[in-house]
This record gives sequence, structure tokens and C-alpha cells, in this order.
Amino acid sequence: MLSLQHISKYYQAGGNKTFVLNDINLEVDEGEFVSIMGPSGSGKSTLLNVIGMLDEPSEGYHYFVNQPVHQLKEKQRSALYKQYIGFVFQAYHLIDELTVYENIETPLIYQDVKGSERKAMVADMLDRFQMVGKKDLFPAQLSGGQQQLVGIARALIAKPKLILADEPTGNLNSKQGEEIMELFRKLNKEDGVTIIQVTHSEKNAEYGSRIINLLDGRIESSKKF
Amino acid sequence: MFKNYLKIAWRSLLTNKVYSLLNILGLAVGMATALLIGVWVVNEYSYDRFLPGYETAYQVKRNFNSNGDTLTFASTSLKLADALRQVPGIEYVAETDNGKAHGLAVANTKLSAEGFQAGSDFLKIFQFPLLQGNKDAALTETYSIVLTESIAKALFGNKNAVGQMVRIDNLNNLKVTGILKDLPLNSSFKFKYIIPFSYFETVDGGVKAARTQSFGANGFAEFVKLKDGVEAAKVSTRIKDIEKAEDNLNAKNSDVILQPLADWHLYGTYTNGKALGGFIDYVRMFSVIGILVLVIACINFVNLTTARSEKRAREVGIRKAIGSVRKQLIFQFLTESALLTFLSFMVSLALVQLAMPYFNSLTGTTLTLPYGNPLFWLVTLSCVAITGILAGSRPAFYLSSFNPVKVLKGTMQVGKSASFSRKSLVVIQFSCSIALIISTIIIYQQIQHARNRPTGYSVNMLLSTVVSNDMAQHYEALKNDLLQSGLVNSVTSATSPATGVYWHSDLDNFPGKQPGETVEMGTILTDAGYFKTLGMQFKEGSNFTGNIAADTNSVILNEAAVKRLRLKQPVGQSVKQFGRNMQIVGVVKDALMDSPFAAADPTTFYYGSGSFLMYRLSPNANPHTAVEKIGAIFNKYNPGNPYTYTFADADYASKFNLEVLVGKLSGIFAALAIFISCLGLFGLAAYIAEQRTKEVGVRKVLGATVAQIWLLLSKEFILLVLISSVIASPIALYLLNNWLQKYSYRISVGPGVFMLAAIAALAITLVTISFQSIKAALSNPIKSLRSE
Repeated sequence: MLSLQHISKYYQAGGNKTFVLNDINLEVDEGEFVSIMGPSGSGKSTLLNVIGMLDEPSEGYHYFVNQPVHQLKEKQRSALYKQYIGFVFQAYHLIDELTVYENIETPLIYQDVKGSERKAMVADMLDRFQMVGKKDLFPAQLSGGQQQLVGIARALIAKPKLILADEPTGNLNSKQGEEIMELFRKLNKEDGVTIIQVTHSEKNAEYGSRIINLLDGRIESSKKF
Repeated sequence: MFKNYLKIAWRSLLTNKVYSLLNILGLAVGMATALLIGVWVVNEYSYDRFLPGYETAYQVKRNFNSNGDTLTFASTSLKLADALRQVPGIEYVAETDNGKAHGLAVANTKLSAEGFQAGSDFLKIFQFPLLQGNKDAALTETYSIVLTESIAKALFGNKNAVGQMVRIDNLNNLKVTGILKDLPLNSSFKFKYIIPFSYFETVDGGVKAARTQSFGANGFAEFVKLKDGVEAAKVSTRIKDIEKAEDNLNAKNSDVILQPLADWHLYGTYTNGKALGGFIDYVRMFSVIGILVLVIACINFVNLTTARSEKRAREVGIRKAIGSVRKQLIFQFLTESALLTFLSFMVSLALVQLAMPYFNSLTGTTLTLPYGNPLFWLVTLSCVAITGILAGSRPAFYLSSFNPVKVLKGTMQVGKSASFSRKSLVVIQFSCSIALIISTIIIYQQIQHARNRPTGYSVNMLLSTVVSNDMAQHYEALKNDLLQSGLVNSVTSATSPATGVYWHSDLDNFPGKQPGETVEMGTILTDAGYFKTLGMQFKEGSNFTGNIAADTNSVILNEAAVKRLRLKQPVGQSVKQFGRNMQIVGVVKDALMDSPFAAADPTTFYYGSGSFLMYRLSPNANPHTAVEKIGAIFNKYNPGNPYTYTFADADYASKFNLEVLVGKLSGIFAALAIFISCLGLFGLAAYIAEQRTKEVGVRKVLGATVAQIWLLLSKEFILLVLISSVIASPIALYLLNNWLQKYSYRISVGPGVFMLAAIAALAITLVTISFQSIKAALSNPIKSLRSE
């Protein structure tokens, strides 16, 4: 599904290059559930952002669904991104001014989905996450776990092939975290959605089918279960 | 404590450079506008009040009952002047002509300048300061003249002029009996010298005759001074019916009234016999505009400061947590606002200094900032203080009201609660700005409308010269020389120039006249060449024949006059005027000789001659060189005066001066208002883009394009501007319709103006805010979404 070859990202500081990512090689197949682990500052989030095309590497080759991302123009990249990728954040990043329903609907608006179709898709998603009763509430009226559910629902609404989750349970208590992880596992197993998550927690990492350990911008170890 | 406040205020200004700059710039421009308008308004109110005893000086006018309508005339009869001299309570009466250019010569120095012929008490009523001579004696000798300083200097150089002779109109020598200080610009009188009225009566047979004529023989201006302590109202009742005793239709319908000198300049327009309007309308209008522009600038300050409050909230929380009470915080924020206002004031003084020359040349004034006047500082600094408090109090009370616990915990959404009032204030700003834009467009449309109006005659290549005594004597020879030169097509002389009707008189009789009916007709004495020279068209009948004996009993009417007299077949009918029966020989099409905004004046043309010589250049003549050659011909017949002339097209254009000035000023103020509003909007857009950074980031991650983000951030402002348009349009329509009522020839205001103004405001708004919204839309979402 995606392939990173010799990906590096560095900042020029004086005469020295400070590497955030250093010669990363990574292949992810469709249907995988990858957990990226590592201490703070090891480059986990940057790697995730590079995969999600939110950030550009300084050098290296990046292929996504057999397309050379490093050669694509901004517009093509964003089209690719819109079609295949959904993002889930640690801080949920819901839009405070919009209701649950509207938050989930927003990606569809940006993909020019027709109004009636949008309605059906959002209703479906609300149903699936058992949030029909909460659809008119604003994010501030929800608990953290509920907010993250909305965040995931929003990431799934456009039927992405790949979900990128940056510490999705970081702001949640352990029970809420478990629920979210179960949901991820279910999505991965039943719907075949590829998931790449960044996490600090060993326990959460073990929901994945592969764990990658980063240290100082390099892949230190990678083990499959 | 105060020093501490000042220090913090100063640092806060420095750390937020962009906001401070926007604030200071907006407020300074607003203050400069208000200051400029203020100085101008004070100047308009200062007219004529520099004269000692101005409170007791009045002009005599007549309210004339014209078949039920009250018309107010400034022209009065000499019999009235003599009658007023007998009225108890009136100390002095002076009669004058209406001012006219005369030729003055000393040896080889000759010049033409506007002067007044005034009764001997004139300088006792209007106590213009005399540098030499005295006000009691200066105008008593018939062959004398009182010069202003600059005319004396022009004629005599540095020699003492008093006692010297000046030759007037190459006719008589007048002895200089006094030197006046030059009249200040804020004087309603604009004369350069005064000649005794007795001289006028000596040389002009018509004036001499007028002295013994009835009340109807109006044609002079008259002024009175009341005795000290006498109430004007008492004198007014005494003189009101003074003319009514005479059995004469004109006198019977005239109430004599007084207008105080202090009101002349501002209250020049009479409606139903009362001086309620005039230039004061514009003074009021621009006062309101000045205040509005300042308010718009203050709104900027309020909006930018409250919008920024999120950044200040922490500081407020900490200060409260360490024991500051609300009063101290309010005081701190007011200090900040006072500092900022004061800085703006300094900048505005510099701006006014820079703008003053342009403003002066635009309005024809010589205003300066009265730095040496303590009153000026007192008034402006109090205004600055009030502005500072008004603009600063809302932010001060708002910021100081924050709950410290909530602010510090970050659970309070600061700035949101203020957003409704912020939007309302933006709507106020834009309503004012859009109303000004609409006004400017309508004023320009009205001017253009009147300019494009067919005039009924041609003002191009038409020149006019005031006929001097010598010219009148050699009129035929001068006319022949002009025509033979080939430079001039046709020549005529008349009692009014092409662009005015100077004389109105009441027709004695006409077919179908109702008993007691009066008809005021424009009256022009002229000759057969008039209509050709001016390019007026005959509708029916014929021109004067050129045969004096026949022409003296002929009259030509314009269409408006025919309509006014209700004549079905005018040509061949007779009217009675000047005690003679006159046969209507022709009817000419209406020409707009008076106001281009009014209906054509009903006008009658009689055979005679007048003091305006008009001549049209040949179409192939080059105006510049022709004028020089024509000047030589004039000098031959008119050795006493320098050759002077005016172009009729320039005279006609000057009829639009006031409207053009008002249009320009309202355009400038509209631009300033919009500019200041946009400064504020720019700041607000920056603030909102900043506040919504996270949202923008999320939306970008979800796939929003730059255009979508731009629309998201702009649509709120677009809505506000549209609301403002909706509010501004009816208000502007109402005010401008009132203004248009002044003009009988006027545009009807259509919806296009309002749409144009709305689109203009929208375009300006979008340009202003797009910088911020596009900047926000282009920013990298990773930066805004980093979750700490």
C-alpha cells in the first residue's frame, strides 16, 4: 500500500543537520495494523505526518498506492490524500463551533459529496457509533472518549483505506482507551482498513499486527505478530 | 502606581506593534479629519464677527408676497433708506450699490477692481479698522475714495496715499480720504475700496432719480445699525409695514425685515420669509461627518482591543490572583487607551499640518492650526481625553471583568462573548462608510445631470467685459472694430451677462392679468445682436429690427415667460412695462442663464443697452492669441481701464462650484471613513484568523481547499457589509432626497446607486480581509495542530 525508501527529514542548524527522520525504509501492506512506538522526540509524529502527506521529507522516495508522492504536485497529492486517508488526533481536533453531526459531515463537503448522499452516510455512521442521540450536541458537551469517537467517525466517513492515528488514546482514561482500541481492531479485521497508530502504550501497541520502534529518527526494531 | 501603569502601557504598545500601528493610524486619521473639519467649522462661524459692534449691524431685506408665496429680496429703494432714518431705535442707515468693478488709475498705473459705493455712515455701521483717516469723515466728500491697504499699495507704491488723487473710470478724480486694513477672508464684504454714495448719485442720473422715486424702485442694498440696547424685535415691528402706506402693488406686498450681520454668511437661503438655511446646512453636514469619522476610528480601537483580550486575559487573571482589584485594572487599561489616544493626537497634528495646504486650496480658505491659542489646546485636549475615555472604557470594563480562576484554568472562552457587540460596531462603521459612498455617488450624479442638461444657448468662445464709461461712449466704433478684426463673430451689450439675470421687475400689465396679481420677470435690456451672440433660438416671431424707434416699443419673451403670463398666442399681443405699451414681437426658447439646477427663469428682453459687453470669438480664432489682439482694440477705446474679460463657459462652470466642492469633500471623507474602517477590519480579520487557526488546520487536514478556507473566513465579513448596506441605503436615500429638494432639476435616485455602493464596499472589504484569510488558508496545518 505504501512504501518509504531512504526517507530523511532534517533541519539545518548552523553547519550541522539535525535529523528528525534518518534514512527510514518502511513498507506497509494493505490490511496491516501498525503501531509506531518510541520515546518523545524520536520522530513518531513526523513519520506519521510524512505518511499522511501533511509534512514533506527533506529527501527520499515515497510511494502511496503505487503513486510517487515525492513527484506529485500539491493538488494531486491533496486529491490522493482526500480519497485514501483519514486522520485521528490525540486532541480530537473537533471544530468547536460545529455539532457532532456537522463535524462528521465536514470531510464529505470537501469531497463534493451531494447533500442527500451526505445525509445518508452521516446517519449511517452515527448509527454505527451509537451516537444518534448526540448528533446535535457540540464537542464541549461530550466526554473525551465520546469526542474521540466523533473524531474517528469523522475520519471514517469518507471510507478511507488508511487511518493514521496520532496517540488516539493519549487524552483518555484506560477504559475509554480500550474501547477505542477495540474499535480500531474491529475496523481493521472486519472492514480491512489499514491503520497506522502512534502510541506510547505497550498495551495499545499490541493491538497492532506489527510494532515499529523508533529512536532518534531511525527504525530501531520492527516485529510482526 | 501611575508610573507603573504607564510603563506597562508603553511596553504593551511596543510588543504588539501591528495592533498599535493599526490603532494609532486609524485614530490619528479620524482625529485629523475631525480636527480639520473643526477648524473649518470654527472659521465658518467666525464670519463677520471680527467687526466691533457686529451685534447691532443688520441688512434690510424685503419679504415680498408674490400671489401667496413669500419671496425674500435684498434689493431695496432709496425711499426706504430715507424712511428708515426717521425710525426710532435705528442709529445709522447706509445705502450701497451691489458692488462693481471700476477702473482706477494713478498716473500710468491703472487697474480694475471691485468696489462699493456706500452711504456716508457705512463705516460707522461696519467698523472696518482704518489705518488712516476716520470713520466719521471718510465718506462725506462726494469726490473721495477710501482704499484698502493693498489697493493703495498697488496704486501708490510705498508713498502715502491719503490726500492723493485717483482717477476713476477715466471720468473723475477722487481724493483718497482713508486707508482700510485689508478685509480678512472671513468677511462677507469683499470690496477693495469704497466710494461715497453721493458720487454715485452725481454721476448716475438713474440713481439720482431713484432718490425721489417710490418704494417700488428697488435696486440698492441697505444696512442699518441699531442704537445700543435697542431690541431688534422692537425695531422690526416698527419697520415691517413701513412701505404699505404707499399705493403701489410692489410696496403693498413688501414686509421690510432685518437680518443680523452674524447670520449673513450661514443663513443665506430664505424659505417662506425666514432665513433657516443656507451654508449652515453644509456646516452641519460636515460637522456630523467629522464626528462620524472620529466615531468610526474609536470603534476600531474598541474592537481591536476587545478582540485582543484573549491575549490579555492571562495577565488580568494573574493580576487579580495577586490582589489587584477591578478598579485598578480599569484604571490601568484606561491609562493605556489615554496613552494611545495621545500618541494618535500627536500624529494627527502632523497629518493636519500636511493636509492643510490641500484642504485650503480645495475649499478656498487660508486656515491654519491656531497653535498659539490656549482655547484651541483646551478644546482639542479635552476632546482627546474624552475620546480616550470613550474608546477605552469598553475594553477596560470588559477586560477587567474576567474571572481569574476561569481565565487561568483556560476554561473560559475569552473574546467570544464580545463578538456580537463587535459585529454590531463593525456594522455601524460600515453603515456610515457606505452611506458616505452613496452620498458621494448621488452628489456626482446630480452635478453630472445638471451639467449635461441642454442650456439653450452656447457658452463656448463667448467672452464678457464690463462696459466702462469710455466704452459706452464709443460703443458703435468699438463694436465695428471688433467685428472687422475678424476675431469676433458678433457683439452685443446687455444689462446681465450671459450667465445671469441680474434684474427682476414686475410687469405693469398684460392680457388676462388678475387684479392684485404680481409677476416678477427677469428683465434684460439689450440689442438685436444679443440672441445671435448667445446662440439662442427663436421659437416664433422675430428679433429686434435694429431700428431704435421701432424696437423701443418691442419686447421679446422666453417660453417660460409666455407660460407664466398664460398667453396663447403671444406674438402681436401687448404688455405694459416702464409706463409704455410694448408689443411682443418674438418668443425665444428657454435658456438656463441663472441656475443650472432650476427651471428657466421667465425673462423679458427689451431694447436698450447695459454694462455687459458680450462677444463671441470666430470659430477658427485661437482664444489665447485672439484675446491679446482684442485687448489692443479695447485699450484704444478704453484708456482708463485695463482690459478685463471672463469666459462665459468658466462663469457657467462656476455655478457648480458649491456642488463640486461638496461632492469632493464627501468623496474624501467617504474614502477616509472606508480607510479607517478597513484598518479595523484588517486587524479583526487577523484576530479571527488567529483565533480560528485550529479550526482552519482541522479543515485543511480534512481536505479543505484554499478557496474554501478563504470563503469560510470571509463570509462573516461579507454578511456584515451586506447588512451595513441594507442599513445605510434607506438612511442615505432619506438624507440625499432632502438635499436634492433644493434643486428643481434633479435626478431620481434609482437602485443602481445602492448596489454600486454595496459592491464597492464589498470589494474593498474583500481585498482588506483576503490578505489575512489567504494567509491563514495557506498555513501548514501541522503547526496549528501540534498537540502539546
